[in-house]
Amino acid sequence: MYKLTGVNKIYRKGRRTVPAVRDLDLVIEDGEWLAVQGRTGHGKTTVLQLLGGLDRPTSGIVEFDGQDLARLREAQVTRLRAVSIGFIFQTFNLVPTLSAAENVEAALIPLGTGLAERRRRVAAALESVGLGDRARHLPSELSGGQQQRVAIARALVKEPKVLLADEPTGNLDEGTRDEIIDLLGQLWRELGVTLVLVTHDSSLARRAQRVGVMNKGRLAIRQDARRAAGPQAAPAPAPGPG
Amino acid sequence: MFFVTYLRRELRRRMRQAAFIALGLALGVGLVVTVVAASAGVKKAQSAVLQGLYGVGTDMTVTGAAPGPPKPGSAPPSGAQTFQVSPAGAELCSNGKCHNAAGQTVDHLGSQYSPISASSVAEVAKLHGVAAAAGGLALNDTQITIPSDFGKPGSPLPQPNSLTVDGADTGHSPLGPLSSGTITSGHSFTAAESDSDVAVVDSGYAKANKLKVGSTVTIDKVKFTVIGIVSQPQSGSPPDVYIPLARAQAMGSEPGGSLKGKVNTIYVTAASASDIPAVQKEISKLLPGDTVTTASSLASQVTGSLSSTAKLANDLGKWLSVSVLIAAFAVASLLTMAAVSRRAREFGTLKALGWRSRRIVAQVMGESVAVGVIGGALGVGLGLAGAALITKIASKLSATVPTATGLHFESVGPGGSQSSSPTADHTLLVPMHASVTPGVIAAAVVLAVAGGVLAGTFASWRIGRLRPAAALARVE
Repeated sequence: MYKLTGVNKIYRKGRRTVPAVRDLDLVIEDGEWLAVQGRTGHGKTTVLQLLGGLDRPTSGIVEFDGQDLARLREAQVTRLRAVSIGFIFQTFNLVPTLSAAENVEAALIPLGTGLAERRRRVAAALESVGLGDRARHLPSELSGGQQQRVAIARALVKEPKVLLADEPTGNLDEGTRDEIIDLLGQLWRELGVTLVLVTHDSSLARRAQRVGVMNKGRLAIRQDARRAAGPQAAPAPAPGPG
Repeated sequence: MFFVTYLRRELRRRMRQAAFIALGLALGVGLVVTVVAASAGVKKAQSAVLQGLYGVGTDMTVTGAAPGPPKPGSAPPSGAQTFQVSPAGAELCSNGKCHNAAGQTVDHLGSQYSPISASSVAEVAKLHGVAAAAGGLALNDTQITIPSDFGKPGSPLPQPNSLTVDGADTGHSPLGPLSSGTITSGHSFTAAESDSDVAVVDSGYAKANKLKVGSTVTIDKVKFTVIGIVSQPQSGSPPDVYIPLARAQAMGSEPGGSLKGKVNTIYVTAASASDIPAVQKEISKLLPGDTVTTASSLASQVTGSLSSTAKLANDLGKWLSVSVLIAAFAVASLLTMAAVSRRAREFGTLKALGWRSRRIVAQVMGESVAVGVIGGALGVGLGLAGAALITKIASKLSATVPTATGLHFESVGPGGSQSSSPTADHTLLVPMHASVTPGVIAAAVVLAVAGGVLAGTFASWRIGRLRPAAALARVE
């Protein structure tokens, strides 16, 4: 699925340069669940953005299904995102003026899916996250947990190969957080998607197959439970850095 | 479908801001519509005035030069009457003989312009591009009562009581001073009446003086029988009385003598509108001392509120509306850019979902254009209201057309001599209808949409170039 080789990402702020990711070599296999932990500002989100083609590396290769994202044209990367990559954000990032169903539908617009098919898939996606009866509600009429469920439905409605989640439980209370963790685990098992998750939440990271920790832009794999569990089986708990 | 839903919801969410932008555009567009409508109304009023001055079918007129004041101290032309004011009092002089003028009434039928030989009419008619030409004689019958204290320090100049008389060519009724009028009573001249003391009287003058067919009107002490009442266009500046050209030539005088065999106006119809400039040149070459007037040159001689309104609409109105429009466009652009900047995360999210930049740009442009269309519709409404208001306020514009009386005053005193040529100005009321045409409405909507497109272009250009990660990071 992913093969990152010698990836560096350096941000420039005036004369100052800030290395966000350093010499990253990483392989993510199809159907794997990788959790990335680390302190704020150590490059977790940058790694996710590089994987999602939202940003380009300063150097190195980010290969997705054999294609170097850094060498693709913007339109090709955009197409790749539209077809193969689903995003889940910490702050849900729902369009406030659109209903739950329309927010989910927005992910199908770039694919040119017909109206009837869009409606069918949107209804199914909302049903799969337990929000079939909230389709017409605006984000402001939903709780935080429900909004994140809509965001998960939006990420999954196009049936992507990979799901990139940036602190998906960061804005939720404990009870809701557990619901979302359970939902993500269930969807990962049922759909067989590759899940890359950036989180501070150790209880969430513990459920991943592999756990990496970002420290000053460098990634170190702390736990690898891939031999013990796969997408069809519940992942073994892995200790997080805390 | 999704595009429209998203657009509608966004506009509803930002209703106050959208309304503010739309109102700004509406104000600019409304002002443009109002100014254009006012300009069109003024132009219409001007053309109505010119048509009234010219007559229907007349493309240009040739007039003799307006007689200027005599040179101070120069001998008056033979037969000319002059007033002299000396310490002895006011004197009326003719051919060197003077007598006391105090308290006397002088009647003078003089030419408004320097005369042109009647044979020139035929020469003009033969020119290439001329369809028809007819002669006319514009005269002023001026009665002046000399005040008994005339000439004493502080005494005013005597004010002329003027009656305008047009000599009309009875053989060329479709062209000339009577062509634009409608006979409301009696009949117009026949060829047989070319030497008769008959007159056609303007309806306004007839009403003011209680004249009807069969009444008599006195011109230079000669009684003329009224055979018809003519109603000229309301906006015209018609003469008071029309008499046969031959009678006008026989009775009228100029400083150099009689007007027999002379005209002072030639009415010309060009074969086509495109021939007018060439014909104007040809006539100027043929009659170098005379004035060839077309509609555009005549318009500049008209003064009064019509002229002021035309200036106001063309100068102040134009710049005011352009300024307001630029301000409205600038405000719309700034507000739209600010709104789009606030939505950076939203657009970043859409990019993350796989929306291409051009789809996001189209969404922003769609919203801006929709605001522009609303602004355009409001602007048209404002413009129509503005035009209606102008029509109501300026329902009657005055147009003042100067005409020479043909008289000259010369005052001789210890400090030398002073001369003056009193003119009799004709002021007429012209109805003004500020009209909004479908073309103007379409242009207004296009203008407002252009404003929306401009605002949307600036805003979407910025967001279109933003990388998804940068857009998402802007507010996170």
